[in-house]
Amino acid sequence: MTFDWSVVWQHRDALLAGTATTVLLTVMTMVIAVPCGMAVAALRLYARAPVRAVATAYVELFRNLPLILVVYWAFYVLPITTGLGLSPLATGLAALALNVTAYNAETFRAGINSIRKGQIEAATALGMSRPQALRRVVIPQALRRVLPILASTWVSLFKDTSLVSVIAVSELAYVSMQIRSQTFRVLEMLTAMAAIYWLLGYPQAKLVDWIQRRFVVTE
Amino acid sequence: MTEPNATPSHRAKDAGAKIIRYQGVVKRYGNFQALNGASLDVHAGEVVCLIGPSGSGKSTLLRCTNGLESVEGGDIEFEGARLPRDERALRGVRRRMGMVFQSFELFPHLTALANVAEGPRTVLRMRRLEAERRALAMLDKVGLSDKVSSYPSALSGGQQQRVAIARALAMEPDVMLFDEPTSALDPETVGEVLNVMKKLADEGMTMVVVTHEMSFARHVGDWIAVFDAGRVVEQGPPTQIFDAPTTERTRDFLSHLGWTG
Amino acid sequence: MEFDFSVITDHARFLASGVGVTLALAGLSGICSLTLGFAVALLRLYGPAWLRPIAVLYIDSMRAIPVLVVLVWTFFALPIVSGITMPPFIAALIGLTLHLAAYAAEIVRAGVESVRAGQTRAALALGMSRVQLVRRILLPQAIVRMLPAFGSLLSITIKDTAIASVIAVTELMRQSETVAGQSFQPIEVFTFAMLVYFGLLFPVTRGVDLIYRRVAHLGRS
Repeated sequence: MTFDWSVVWQHRDALLAGTATTVLLTVMTMVIAVPCGMAVAALRLYARAPVRAVATAYVELFRNLPLILVVYWAFYVLPITTGLGLSPLATGLAALALNVTAYNAETFRAGINSIRKGQIEAATALGMSRPQALRRVVIPQALRRVLPILASTWVSLFKDTSLVSVIAVSELAYVSMQIRSQTFRVLEMLTAMAAIYWLLGYPQAKLVDWIQRRFVVTE
Repeated sequence: MTEPNATPSHRAKDAGAKIIRYQGVVKRYGNFQALNGASLDVHAGEVVCLIGPSGSGKSTLLRCTNGLESVEGGDIEFEGARLPRDERALRGVRRRMGMVFQSFELFPHLTALANVAEGPRTVLRMRRLEAERRALAMLDKVGLSDKVSSYPSALSGGQQQRVAIARALAMEPDVMLFDEPTSALDPETVGEVLNVMKKLADEGMTMVVVTHEMSFARHVGDWIAVFDAGRVVEQGPPTQIFDAPTTERTRDFLSHLGWTG
Repeated sequence: MEFDFSVITDHARFLASGVGVTLALAGLSGICSLTLGFAVALLRLYGPAWLRPIAVLYIDSMRAIPVLVVLVWTFFALPIVSGITMPPFIAALIGLTLHLAAYAAEIVRAGVESVRAGQTRAALALGMSRVQLVRRILLPQAIVRMLPAFGSLLSITIKDTAIASVIAVTELMRQSETVAGQSFQPIEVFTFAMLVYFGLLFPVTRGVDLIYRRVAHLGRS
């Protein structure tokens, strides 16, 4: 059995483009999912009971479904319900955003709830309104606790972008497997795919470790 | 220590205006009756100390005073007007009261200076420089000018509590509420906080203090209220409460503390 | 818009077999990854010094590579290097086990390290050997602390079985795709799949919460 590793180099442009798409998907999902997650968390914490229930249902639903299923479901359902012909990329992005927003909402909610009640009382005793207390006292502290978890979510998201390959989005996994099919260089391409993810993912995982050490919360 | 107050067992007729009036205050937590008709007056310039066993309602009454807890029955009057129920109006009341907590509750993400300036900046809408100037003055008053740039995590318990007092004072309140201010402190640092409180008292600040520090109550307090099971069972000047208590409950409480005068 | 859910009942047995495979795959990978994870964690904590960097490399690599990639490589590439062909289910089992064991190892390590150092000192002062210390004092407390994280890992395990559809394992996701493709009723079929997965996962998360609340006091020191 001969191995021809040059096939990886020959297709480096396609692989690079795939990597770029992977990064793009990750960034754009977070750009959507962080503010949306904050909004959903705020709804869960402060809105009227019916709205709170809907927000909670949303979070619980997406935390308890496999992402790959959400991707498929989005692919088939979104065109019909929205009437739009969304590209696979947009569909994949929508599925990822729905999923990560739910996780972020839970992260933000837990972060805010972890702030001691006494802090809010001290702010109230000074005469602050609720929005003032949130803005000046709760959120600055919650951010420190939330950051390590968001970093961890980022890394998971980076890996999860590989799942949108099933609806033919040209991110790294899809591109690698296409090249494999075209060149029949199975071992080389799949190993290259794993290696590229490793090269990208390993430093990110280490960065998350560093963030978690740096932002450790001592009461 | 100054001379113990030589007031007779009724309040002097020329005592200052009634700053706070508690009339039959009732408060329940679920099945637990925290306050069961507590009544008490606080006059301007007085240091009123609330003492009594744990769970007798002292802290609860304090927290009802600035609306952190709501009352279910009875009245609380502040400066002649009933405590409002509306949140916005309550905020206005809170600006005129300063509160110091047992767990200090400094804002950990702000320096000492920023902590003290926070109230004036955010609530009184002062400009940052003005607020910081006021904060510096307050920190100086509590003896912490050298710690203005320190974060709470770098300060001892006593220092943190003094910053907390400065933070409350920066709002220039009409009355200061202290909720067991020294209960969470190491014995060595209790003194520095009590000294600051005594200084405030000497300057004529109206203070309501929930405390277990009987020495402080005896020597700095003008009026003592003994709590038990949600009511005031005895009240009077320190000479009465500590030297000649008139109720069994008070005597029991003091003897349990090992109070020998 | 009309929905015709009879497509579900028509293919009930087919889909049910998918659920069976999902559960089997999740259960087996769960057990295997737990075992492997424990072993790796103990090696990392108490094993010979030269072994530790290898354990760390393994754990961190699995944090970097997506499950999809691990599964695909195990099914398509591993047979080429090893000369052994394997059915999709076995490939999925191996791939999932390797991936999840890394996370399990981290959970075990964090759990053990979170038990207060004073406990170790107290046990050693009583004259216990290190083995006794780990077995009788550290692990029992650590296991309680690990429960919520393991619950979450179980949830992830079940979700990851769906990715095995990509290498043609006949679990629920794959069976749903097949039925959806044949019947041209993807909405009904995938909605049904969502209900099933939710029905499996929601109780797992809630159940772990409840159990943890009951036993949490045993782990507090």
